[in-house]
Amino acid sequence: MSALLDVKGVTMRFGGLVAVNDVGFSLAKGEVLAVIGPNGAGKSTLFNVITGVYRPTAGKVSFDGADITGKPAYEVVERGIARTFQSSRLFSDLSVLDNVIIGMHTRTKTGVLDALFRPGASKREMAACVEKAEALLKAGSGDLHAQRYRPAGTLAQADRRRLEIARALASEPKLLLLDEPSVGMDEVETDALVADIKRLRSKNPDLSVILIEHDMRVVEAFPTHVMCIDYGSRIAEGNFETVRADPRVQEAYLGKAAAHA
Amino acid sequence: MERPMPSGAPSVATASLFVVASQLAGAVFLYLVLKAEGGWQVIGLLALLGAGFFLLEKKPRIADLAMASMARVPLLAVAMAAVVVLAFPFAVGSNTYMLHLLIVAQLYAVLALALNFQLGSANIPNFATGASYGIGAYVSALLAINFGVSFWLTLPVAALAATLFGFLIGIPSMRTRDTYLALVTIAFGVVVQQLLNNFDFTGGPNGLVGIPAPSLFGHSFADPLVIFGHKLPSQANFYYLAAALVAVAIVTARRLHGSRIGLAWNALRADEIAARAQGINVAWYKVLAFAVDAFLAAFAGTIYAFYVSYISPDNFTFLVSVTIMTMVIVGGMDNIFGVIVGAFLLTILPEKLRAFSDYRLLFFGIVIIGFLMIRPQGLFPQRMRDYGSHS
Amino acid sequence: MRAGGTLLMRPLQPEIWRMAELLIQQMLNWITLGCIYALLAIGFSLIFGILNVIHFSHGDVAMTAPFICLALATFFGATSPYWLVLALVLAILAVGLLGVVLDRVVIRQFRDAPAMMALVATVALGIVIREAIRHLYPEGSNPHAFPRLVSGVAFEVAGVPVNWFSVLVTVLTVALIGLLFVFLRMTPLGLRIRAASEDRVVARMMGIRDGRVFRATFFIASAIGAVAGLLFASYAGVTRFDFGIMAGLLGFSAAVIGGLGSMPGAILGGLIIAGIEVLAQTFVPDGASYRLVFVFLLVIAVLIFRPAGLLGRPVMEKV
Repeated sequence: MSALLDVKGVTMRFGGLVAVNDVGFSLAKGEVLAVIGPNGAGKSTLFNVITGVYRPTAGKVSFDGADITGKPAYEVVERGIARTFQSSRLFSDLSVLDNVIIGMHTRTKTGVLDALFRPGASKREMAACVEKAEALLKAGSGDLHAQRYRPAGTLAQADRRRLEIARALASEPKLLLLDEPSVGMDEVETDALVADIKRLRSKNPDLSVILIEHDMRVVEAFPTHVMCIDYGSRIAEGNFETVRADPRVQEAYLGKAAAHA
Repeated sequence: MERPMPSGAPSVATASLFVVASQLAGAVFLYLVLKAEGGWQVIGLLALLGAGFFLLEKKPRIADLAMASMARVPLLAVAMAAVVVLAFPFAVGSNTYMLHLLIVAQLYAVLALALNFQLGSANIPNFATGASYGIGAYVSALLAINFGVSFWLTLPVAALAATLFGFLIGIPSMRTRDTYLALVTIAFGVVVQQLLNNFDFTGGPNGLVGIPAPSLFGHSFADPLVIFGHKLPSQANFYYLAAALVAVAIVTARRLHGSRIGLAWNALRADEIAARAQGINVAWYKVLAFAVDAFLAAFAGTIYAFYVSYISPDNFTFLVSVTIMTMVIVGGMDNIFGVIVGAFLLTILPEKLRAFSDYRLLFFGIVIIGFLMIRPQGLFPQRMRDYGSHS
Repeated sequence: MRAGGTLLMRPLQPEIWRMAELLIQQMLNWITLGCIYALLAIGFSLIFGILNVIHFSHGDVAMTAPFICLALATFFGATSPYWLVLALVLAILAVGLLGVVLDRVVIRQFRDAPAMMALVATVALGIVIREAIRHLYPEGSNPHAFPRLVSGVAFEVAGVPVNWFSVLVTVLTVALIGLLFVFLRMTPLGLRIRAASEDRVVARMMGIRDGRVFRATFFIASAIGAVAGLLFASYAGVTRFDFGIMAGLLGFSAAVIGGLGSMPGAILGGLIIAGIEVLAQTFVPDGASYRLVFVFLLVIAVLIFRPAGLLGRPVMEKV
């Protein structure tokens, strides 16, 4: 089976700091990969490399059969990779609805001249976007749809995370990258989030997901492949049980825990 | 900003009444301001205006009602606005000074709307709108003086030239931001102004004189305008021309604002990295904002050149750009109506303060600072887009 | 042809000498002007460092100094050079205080506002300062003669006389930069200013948000600006209410192309701007009227290739 995403030997250096060190993995269509590891291990940097925020110092990223290494972020989205951010980066002074509609940017095509001289077409496009966005807002847990005219900046923490996911889905991705989606959620909300992602996958069996998570309950909830990163390097990979039992993984987490105590 | 949308839309009758009454009230107020002489009248009208804004601030329902009414009877709103604008010169009569103020105010409204794409929608600094305005004015004036090109033909040519200039200033914006980008635009503005001041073919510091009046269907804009036996001074020609341009600018602004382009600009204003992650080509949208700004500004410049028939580099200085920025900020960033109000207010008010004419600029500076400190969102803050689905 | 050639050899020699003299003369000009711009740029950079705000009216603040000095000199009424020195010192202190007051009343309000707001607000502040001079100072809209602070020839370099004024400007600039360097590195207050400008977030967490850092920074930046303003007026022999616009634009440009927040960058920027100005005036026909065009084209070019200035650190946004 040909992989949807193929990451080979990716290294990301910032000056003297090696944030990601020779990491490689691949992901098939419809698969879920969970990336775990202590804070500052380089997980988000890996996301940034895949989505084109950073150009890797070395290595190659291919997606859907094409080399996307160092391609600008907006192009990567167009090819079908959508993401959320660890510290949700919503467009806080725009409404919830607008946030989702902006997520459809790569799936709409009105240009300046169209907007000016074919207002009808532009309006129809927007109307279709609104309809789609409302459906997306209704689909997830929480009551985002009822809050669709609120500025995104005024949402509660859990709703912000949900909105980020809705916005990412708006681009009709083939691969969804979720950077710690459960941060700031309580247990009930986390369970709802897991249910959301499960529902999403059953509706969209082809959608691949990469999940950065600290909450092991979320990781455990999916039939996942798990990869653990520490100090930028991959230290373990396999199914959840194997990775959890790996002594190096335990050390990475316990070491951190000990340091915090 | 955090208000939920009103639940019930007003009835057609209420909406119509509100639209007609508010527009008439606005027109009467503008007329009184233009007519006012002496310090006390102006101060009284300013107090009235202040009270109006205080009321709007205390009762946000009024603004919601206004928006809802406009949305309810859009055709009536547009028709009424057209009637008011068309009829205004008849009320003004032979008072050419009032007409002059209105023409300048309308041109500034266009410039402010042009800059609003950048400053308001995308929060990109641009201290070179004055330069685009100047390029429009000079290109069209040179074409008319040297080659006898008709005004109507110079319009698109000047706009094209300024748009190219807009793209040119836009290019550094792909890499520089905020303060650095502000300096790049300042630099472009100074370079253009200095070149106009130094080149021989632009007439140097003396500028260009004797730009011929445009004509349409054999009617020269230098002649009085006779409508239904009613004779209006020649300025009325330019008044209507400028009004048409304002209408074009409003339509442009509304269509762009309501399309995915306006949303993309808003997105990169809020968070550039997140915007990129939604697939927005941030660099292109920034350059685009510069180009659209320059395009509209050039139209205003062309009309200005043909209206006053004499232009010099002094008309297009750094201070002109700052004035335009101020209009956007005072009126309300990313609010079309607000920006127009800002332009009118800041064009007409200083003129009305002739009593203290020496201190006009001083007053101007203090007003800007005061506004930024007390009401940074402007007179009319930006509003959420309403997609009209309140199920 | 050959005869003519040998004949020409003789007058050619003085020609070369004249070129050399011109060159040295222009280099002196360059250093003098470069020092003045560097002093202005340092103020922009210092203030940007701690506030992350461009104090666009810094040039106008600086150019109030010659007016204050003239007013004080008139007030003292005496012709003795000691009175002039006193007027100069008082003017510098007064401008330092003016900076502190403006920070307190206006600029600090925009510390956490979007950069654009602060920019426009300080542009407006510049208008207010200029107009205030114009209307409040007697005959404010007219140019006022400003004396050369020192006159006479100090020494000669290869036959080119070097004025005491150039010596004064250079020595003063070097001394001020040296003092500033020592202050920022050796004194507790200076260290706190540096800490605040290196990393605002950390500095804020450590509680360096107190007013003293702001007061000190504005006082120093404005006082140094005042020195630049006085030297500029003295160099030009005249001062005008609207000198502040150009002084501000050139000082700001110098600070930006050097890299905002970087002291060496500010000095480098000042020298570069002055250099291009002098070069344009010397070697380009009609260069004097085009000098601003050259200066600002250079600014644009630098920012296209080095978006954070020559010595500035590019900001990497954390994602």
